[in-house]
Amino acid sequence: MKKTLLALSLGMALPLTAVHAEISFNGFANIVAGKASSGDTQWGYDDDVDFKQGSLFALQASTDLTEGLSATVQIISRGVDDWETEFEWAYLAYDVNDQTRILLGRQRAPMYMFSDYLDVSYAYPWISPPQGVYDLELSTFDGISANYSFTLGEFDANAQAFFGSESNEIEVFGEAIESEFEQITGASFTFNRDWLTLRAAYLTTDLNLPAPGSSDLIAAWQTVPGFETLGDEATIMEEQSKFAELGVQVDYNNWLFIAEYTHIDYDQMPLDTEESMFATLGYRFDTVLVHATYGQDENDVNGNVNNLPYGVNPELDRLSTLTEQAFRFREQDSSYYTLGARWDFHDSAALKVEFSRRDNDLLNEDTNLIRTALVTVF
Amino acid sequence: MKLLKSLTLGLCLSVSTLAAAETAIIVNPANASTISDNDISRAFLGKLKKFSDGQSIEAVNTKANNTTRIAFEKTILKKSPAQVKAYWSKRLFTGKGKPLKELASDAAVLSHVAATPNAIGYIDAASVDSSVKVLKRF
Repeated sequence: MKKTLLALSLGMALPLTAVHAEISFNGFANIVAGKASSGDTQWGYDDDVDFKQGSLFALQASTDLTEGLSATVQIISRGVDDWETEFEWAYLAYDVNDQTRILLGRQRAPMYMFSDYLDVSYAYPWISPPQGVYDLELSTFDGISANYSFTLGEFDANAQAFFGSESNEIEVFGEAIESEFEQITGASFTFNRDWLTLRAAYLTTDLNLPAPGSSDLIAAWQTVPGFETLGDEATIMEEQSKFAELGVQVDYNNWLFIAEYTHIDYDQMPLDTEESMFATLGYRFDTVLVHATYGQDENDVNGNVNNLPYGVNPELDRLSTLTEQAFRFREQDSSYYTLGARWDFHDSAALKVEFSRRDNDLLNEDTNLIRTALVTVF
Repeated sequence: MKLLKSLTLGLCLSVSTLAAAETAIIVNPANASTISDNDISRAFLGKLKKFSDGQSIEAVNTKANNTTRIAFEKTILKKSPAQVKAYWSKRLFTGKGKPLKELASDAAVLSHVAATPNAIGYIDAASVDSSVKVLKRF
């Protein structure tokens, strides 16, 4: 069934060309086993050994339609989605010339340094990119992007502008909510020279996350004199957010250094700002890479959480309690470190092992997670 | 005992030939372009698309695990085989480029470069003949 769908979608992308277009198939897979410390949960793992959470299989088919046009489809089955197959990429690319390429269709939002190959664990040192920075629900979108490659002095540079939208399901208080990212508008810049890579990205998007009861909450506060807008502040109904990212990578002889920082501003939403960073230092001993990562995440709640009127009457107290929960649903103040190793034991496969310890300062709670992974490209 | 001795000798010999083996980066004799060391690396990483004379570049590889290839990647690309593989998986799965065409032997690279005006390759310097132009030896 899935195969038919793939063939079908490729077939649909092909009407411009002769029947003989050559299709090349490639794929990658990550098999990840993980277990959190006794009684704890961390990054989706609990204290039972789990093989599903981080595992995935992907297949990519692409074809060159000549004269600069090509079609690519990448489908991924993830254990965490019960191996349901999803179209991660599905686009037509047009090379205007050697420097400029236009992508139309489903593609990655180039928000982070590792966005483009987020799932290709073989292509980076860790089992998955550091959780804190890479925790936004927006990774893929439907739309258009233009990519421009040029040289700037000694640097190979790349500028990308993109526009589109995306909708997916986000879990809020245990319930799956259809979230929408509209008017995703942004740009990213990458500069690379020999061992140094610098990167920056910026985007704005309109967010819509109609959690159950959102409209009721807004309506309820509108009847409270002096606090009319509190409901609006505590919910996410078509409000704008601004995302900025900076990244650096140094790959010098046997040393590897990677750091990334992200900052998000939310307008009239439960969160005011979201700030994340990580830094990784690694050293390569022939086929073994050992690495250490430190990361920090701080999500600050909208200041209006302090203006909730408590103690006026029991009914208003109930409303305030409920609203405070809404304000704080993504509040976070945590840090973590990860120690890991990657062993390239085979031409196209690597074995990875990682230990991560996370300190949650809000709950004053420490958890540990151990993971191992077999990752491959084919 | 004698066997061990000849074995050790053989081993030493093969190690020394390995160290002495020179690699040559070759292009078609008709190719008059000049290219810097940094640009050779960029050409084999798919970042440099055109020679200085405007021809598009077609860089070709030899098979994985070939000693010439390992030496080439280490010296010119400054990457281990696993790093090169990871690099191309990035390009491949983001639609930015395909890994280079892999030819079976030095002889195959030699004849391909001799026959293709815009090709660039590398082979053991001992295999070079007049059908190609040598850009660099190391």
